[in-house]
Amino acid sequence: MPELRTRLFAPARDPLWGAIAALLVSLLVSFLAIAVSGRDAVSGFADLVSGAFGGIGPLGETAIKSAVLILTGLSVAVAFTVGLFNIGAEGQLIWGGLAAAVVGQIDVPGAMVWSLAAAALAGALWGLLPGWLKVRRGVHEVISTILLNWIAIHLVQGWLVPGPLGAPGSGATVSVAGTEPIVAAARLPRLFFGSRLDLGFPLALLAAAAVWWLLTRTWRGFEWRAVGTGRDAARASGVPADRRICEGMALSGALAGLGGALLILGTEHKYPGVFRTGYGFDGIAVALVGGGTALGTTAAAIVFGALRAGATRLQLVGIHPSFAELTQGLAVLLVAAPRLFLPLLARLRGRPAAAASDPPIPTVQP
Amino acid sequence: MNALELHGIVKRFGPVTALDGVSLAMAPGEVLALVGENGAGKSTLVSVACGLYRADAGTVSAFGRQLPPADPRAAIDAGIGVVYQHFMLVGPLTVWENAVLGREPRRLGFIDRRRSRREAADVAARLGLAIDVDARVETLSVAAQQRVEILKQLWRGARALILDEPTALLSPQESAELMRTVRALAAEGRAVLFISHKLREVLAVADRIAVIRRGNILRAAAPRSRTDTAALADLMMGGAPAVVARSSPSRMLPQPGIVLRARELTCSSDRGLPALRGVSFDVRSGEVVGVAGVDGNGQTELAEAIAGLRSAGGLLSLDGDTSFHRSPAAARRAGMAHLPEDRRRLALCGSLSVEENLALGHHSSPPYARGFLIDRPGRRAMAQRLIAEFDVRTPDPSARAADLSGGNQQKLVAARELSGGPPPRLIVAVHPTRGLDPRASRRVHEALFAAQRGGAAILVVSLDLDELRELCHRILVLFDGRIAGEAAPDASDEQLGRMMLGQVPAVA
Repeated sequence: MPELRTRLFAPARDPLWGAIAALLVSLLVSFLAIAVSGRDAVSGFADLVSGAFGGIGPLGETAIKSAVLILTGLSVAVAFTVGLFNIGAEGQLIWGGLAAAVVGQIDVPGAMVWSLAAAALAGALWGLLPGWLKVRRGVHEVISTILLNWIAIHLVQGWLVPGPLGAPGSGATVSVAGTEPIVAAARLPRLFFGSRLDLGFPLALLAAAAVWWLLTRTWRGFEWRAVGTGRDAARASGVPADRRICEGMALSGALAGLGGALLILGTEHKYPGVFRTGYGFDGIAVALVGGGTALGTTAAAIVFGALRAGATRLQLVGIHPSFAELTQGLAVLLVAAPRLFLPLLARLRGRPAAAASDPPIPTVQP
Repeated sequence: MNALELHGIVKRFGPVTALDGVSLAMAPGEVLALVGENGAGKSTLVSVACGLYRADAGTVSAFGRQLPPADPRAAIDAGIGVVYQHFMLVGPLTVWENAVLGREPRRLGFIDRRRSRREAADVAARLGLAIDVDARVETLSVAAQQRVEILKQLWRGARALILDEPTALLSPQESAELMRTVRALAAEGRAVLFISHKLREVLAVADRIAVIRRGNILRAAAPRSRTDTAALADLMMGGAPAVVARSSPSRMLPQPGIVLRARELTCSSDRGLPALRGVSFDVRSGEVVGVAGVDGNGQTELAEAIAGLRSAGGLLSLDGDTSFHRSPAAARRAGMAHLPEDRRRLALCGSLSVEENLALGHHSSPPYARGFLIDRPGRRAMAQRLIAEFDVRTPDPSARAADLSGGNQQKLVAARELSGGPPPRLIVAVHPTRGLDPRASRRVHEALFAAQRGGAAILVVSLDLDELRELCHRILVLFDGRIAGEAAPDASDEQLGRMMLGQVPAVA
């Protein structure tokens, strides 16, 4: 598993154009897929572009979706920095959303800030859990985060939101209406007229800048990277590796939790009865295509955000909006597959892939 | 007809020319030694010979047939077999299973176990390899595992055998045993390419000696009688002072203060077996104490216990602090520096840069950091200083540490631990010069002496008795988790060897 993970996230060795080429090819393939299915691919693509970039409204949609993807993508990227593959951004996002929805109902000065803080805290705790299980009990984070996603989904959406935290009076036993709405002061302010663009996008960019700064400019971030690339070596050099892993997972969860808060405070204004976003899972794709760096993740998130925003327009010409997922999936495949398969292909041909850098001799220590 | 012949081999890695038109031939029945400093191109040459690398020019032939480039299978079929430093064995399988792995004799689609076992046993018996073919490999000593590797190659029909630094992990007795095996292989008509840093053993075993320097073979036919270690070293280094000539270092007498104190130290191995069974000793300020022993007698665990990497019973104190070993971080704060045995796992973050690895451990204090920020110019300047001082061969401080050769990785770790931070109080150095050429070894030894003059207590674990003799004031011999004896640096191989095998009660 660490081997696979290291190959999947190989930012330093993969030039930027690799990711760009993968995106372009996946767009081309999607285009052909639409054309083959007998639809009007050209006007479909025109709709896609105008849905994502055609004016202030569509740009706002793109920014809203990108903002959440930036945060969940950063969440996955930060966890990877400390060497963990966080599949649990979805669960962390759900708790963050719920915390924002609950705290946002309290009418106090600075309600928005309190809500954001509560969301970050809730996500951090849900992210800390798999980190703690990893260092204390050796539980593999992929397993624990996947399971914790389901626990979060069922606790929040199967019990808390329809039950104890649900808006009263909307149903006898079960509420489908979600929680009470948040107070106006807790909402993310809109930035322009004619667009739903809110404070979330600048906040996400700020988070990305902060993560970049933390990881590349502070020695604490250096310790995280050291733990992620060589846990034993870092520990032997005096870095408290277990604590750093927990910190990294807490920040990872906090970022995903903030992503949830943006959805609640920005567009939903309450925790809705039906809330299946998939943003947490898409964060994995974003971080993969972005090569695990803050900058790459932000760029990938904006591209995928635009796809999501544009895809809603495609329904007008009868193209299913899951088209965006097709493109996204293809992009991940094209980015990830070479990292996985090129070394394999090279080995089959009896030629070591990166002869100069990697000794191709497999070693089994006695 | 030559068993193995390389002709005009050129191999470049990007801008770096690793091999620059190397030609080399060995006849059946011949032991050819290949010596050269770190990064001279020895490993690259092996990789070309066995078909792992494609040469940019030149040909490889075995027994008169030219081999297709970059085709390991063809090389194996042609009779070329390589025993690497890092063994490629499957621990839970038996010796004979490992020997036939990948080319199992079959019968009716199933592995013909009886025939496999018999054939492996036959090969072992014919060469007098002391080995139980039914033993599980993970229960064997390092020397025995190496014999399994040799057995595997022979069973596959290797007639040109390449041994890559085969004695690096062996005790003197085991090395002598290996030399006998090598001569027996040659007597059978096989060709052996013997790669080593240890000039003394090269002179003992080889028919001819080839010296490789900066990708060129300088001399492939040194007659043994007229060569001595100093001349060889000269040739390897290319005009550098003859570093092998033993010049007594400026060895100071230890000072009175005890820095490291160990009393009735016990701990377990990774497999939960007792590794140390009550070890007591002191290391004084300015004293260098050696730990000798056949690999696996508790040296690794002793070093790890002191470094805070392994929990131990009994008492350990560093300058009176009895809890310094509760964690590596605490040990570092107390002034410990550690050159671990497994440097790739315990000392390096391979995908971080050389510069970052040089800072690791000292990274949160000046000149590497200012407050909570990384001091990038300071860190870069420090890295450049350490790279120059220890002659770490890297294209750039921002190159990945994993891309350095093994010897240069060791130099990197030594540079960081010995010169990268505040002067250490205690140095635990495990195989500090393993894989280093004489010049680089010299550099590491000098750094150890400098620390010693500064009052550090130094514990050196090594399998190289010459190194221990040169460095240490006294040598402790570990056998089966206990101190089997203590020797002065002038003790003979024979005396030390007997203690290492637990044959002599403690002297003095």
